[in-house]
Amino acid sequence: MNALIMALDSIWEKKGRSFLTMLGIIIGVTAVLVLVALVAGYNADVTAYYEKLGVNKVEVEVTWYDPTRSTDLTDDLARYVNDDLGQLTQGVTPSHTLSATVRHGGESAEEVTVSLGGTQWDVCGNYTLDRGRGILDYDIENASPVCVIGSYLTQTFFPYSDPIGQTVTVNGHALTVVGTLYQKDGSQEDSMDNCLWTPYTLDRVLLGSAYVTRYTVKVDKSRDMDQVMTALERYFAQTVSDRLGEVELENGNAAMSESTSEMTSMSVVLGGVAAIALLVGGIGIMNIMLVTVTERTREIGIKKSIGAPKWEIVTQFLIEAAILSSLGGLAGIALGYLLAAVLGQAMYGVVSFPGALVTVGAFLFSAAIGILFGLYPAVKAAGLQPVDALRSE
Amino acid sequence: MSLIRLEQVYKIYNPGLESQVNALDGVDLTIDQGEFVAIIGTSGSGKSTMMNILGCLDVPTSGTYYLNGAAVSGMSGRELERIRSSQVGFIFQGYNLIPALNVWQNVALPLCYQRVGPKERRRRAMEALTQVGIADKAETRPSRLSGGQQQRVAIARAICTRSPILMADEPTGALDSRTGQQVLLLMRQLNAQGTTVILITHDNAIAAQADRVVRVKDGRVVDDSLWHREEARP
Ligand SMILES: Nc1ncnc2c1ncn2[C@@H]1O[C@H](COP(=O)(O)OP(=O)(O)OP(=O)(O)O)[C@@H](O)[C@H]1O
Ligand SMILES: [Mg+2]
Repeated sequence: MNALIMALDSIWEKKGRSFLTMLGIIIGVTAVLVLVALVAGYNADVTAYYEKLGVNKVEVEVTWYDPTRSTDLTDDLARYVNDDLGQLTQGVTPSHTLSATVRHGGESAEEVTVSLGGTQWDVCGNYTLDRGRGILDYDIENASPVCVIGSYLTQTFFPYSDPIGQTVTVNGHALTVVGTLYQKDGSQEDSMDNCLWTPYTLDRVLLGSAYVTRYTVKVDKSRDMDQVMTALERYFAQTVSDRLGEVELENGNAAMSESTSEMTSMSVVLGGVAAIALLVGGIGIMNIMLVTVTERTREIGIKKSIGAPKWEIVTQFLIEAAILSSLGGLAGIALGYLLAAVLGQAMYGVVSFPGALVTVGAFLFSAAIGILFGLYPAVKAAGLQPVDALRSE
Repeated sequence: MSLIRLEQVYKIYNPGLESQVNALDGVDLTIDQGEFVAIIGTSGSGKSTMMNILGCLDVPTSGTYYLNGAAVSGMSGRELERIRSSQVGFIFQGYNLIPALNVWQNVALPLCYQRVGPKERRRRAMEALTQVGIADKAETRPSRLSGGQQQRVAIARAICTRSPILMADEPTGALDSRTGQQVLLLMRQLNAQGTTVILITHDNAIAAQADRVVRVKDGRVVDDSLWHREEARP
């Protein structure tokens, strides 16, 4: 009880020094929490991006050496994927895109991702039909000037009216809206909802050229990716001869796992930085505690010579160190959460907090360092003969 | 059985070096309970060194110190703490007050270690401060006091525990002769109530009022005589 009061007294007595002691811990804990939260935020951001993009996709690109001697593989590929690989896949679609300005009435939308797709484009792109219908075989065969619009376009052009049956223009070409898509990415201009789906057979109209070279195959389960890749390789080896062109297959999940491993190594680096920050904080505490005890060895000598038990002196310093480092730790946690929220919002648009484990860990670590380094010099000083402690300057 | 007994006590600083000092050079001394002893000697003769050992604040290089018949050198830290807390009231030559505490808190501090309750602590601290005549400074910080006032605070701190032994290293050094006489009177009163008093002084007039004077020179006791107070008074 005595020791507690004396500890509080002495903390209050030397407010400036107490604050400096805490500063090291505050900085260390804050740094750790903010770094951890930002890494988590970045991870979540990247993961969410890939989830929206859709996983388990094989991207195919066919390059014909001589465009005049190309074959349209679209129908054949669709038959192969949906029949022969039907158990393993959800669909296939041509996946050529262009960025275009889309207008309706007086309104316009810039940089819309216009996809020249097949009937399964929505499945392959992880989109869901909202109102109306999708692009059908009939539209493909007849190159009907129709389209399905993403939620950003629906919001921009038809906030209060029914878009079905209305007309929009893509680079000046009029298309009738037959359906709309659900929002999947926040409906902003720079989101995946700023899109438009139209039959690939309109390529002659929209692009001025007429051959489809890119496809997306949507695989049902990620464990079947390799099997589908192998099957597709075999398929293309038969359909595109080496002399006429070449085919590139890309596993969409590989890109994701690559950036996942990038995230892991980034976490490791930042974890190291955070640990160094904590250590520096700890050294700060040690320094100031050392100065404190040296400064107060005389006081320790006086107390000992009038009968203070060693344990009571040690307890006083222990309580002081514990209070300072836990106050510092708590302040660091508060500051860390605040900064994590602010920075997370600014950088990723999501507020992600460091986990409870990290929080408790950083707190305990800083408290332990503070107490350990605070206690050591006190124990040493309290063990001196009273005269020796009194003689110290 | 005597209260205090030193047998061939040496305190040697920097042994073996050129700067070696035999601050105590084989001291034999016996003090009985209830005595009033003055220790005199020139500066540097080893008086403070001896007093620190008697107060269990320092340990001799060799020799034995018996307190109440028990050898202090064989005691544990715990036992020494208990002696400092409950057997000895010590007044330092250099006051040694804690700057962060005010006057009455300084005086009451030893009582904390005796587990005296807060109310009683304050009452006894004020009583001791009244005895040395500076109760009006109770709330002041030591740094705002004159040397003589600080010395009286240090005396109050030593007497408020009512320890059976009072050791004072130059307790009147910073006081004018009138205040010095008052302090001495207070010590005589405590002595009359049974407290053993050992004090160091330069002042022959103060020493003359002790029952016994021990003269120290170059770390040795060179003269040890019982006086009759009546004879000694001029
Ligand atoms: N820590 C120390 N290291 C080395 N020498 C010391 C130490 N403390 C005291 N001395 C020496 O021991 C001798 C005795 O010192 P002490 O303090 O006991 O003298 P004193 O009789 O109390 O003198 P004064 O009347 O001036 O207070 C002195 O010569 C001093 O220089
Ligand atoms: Mg001295």
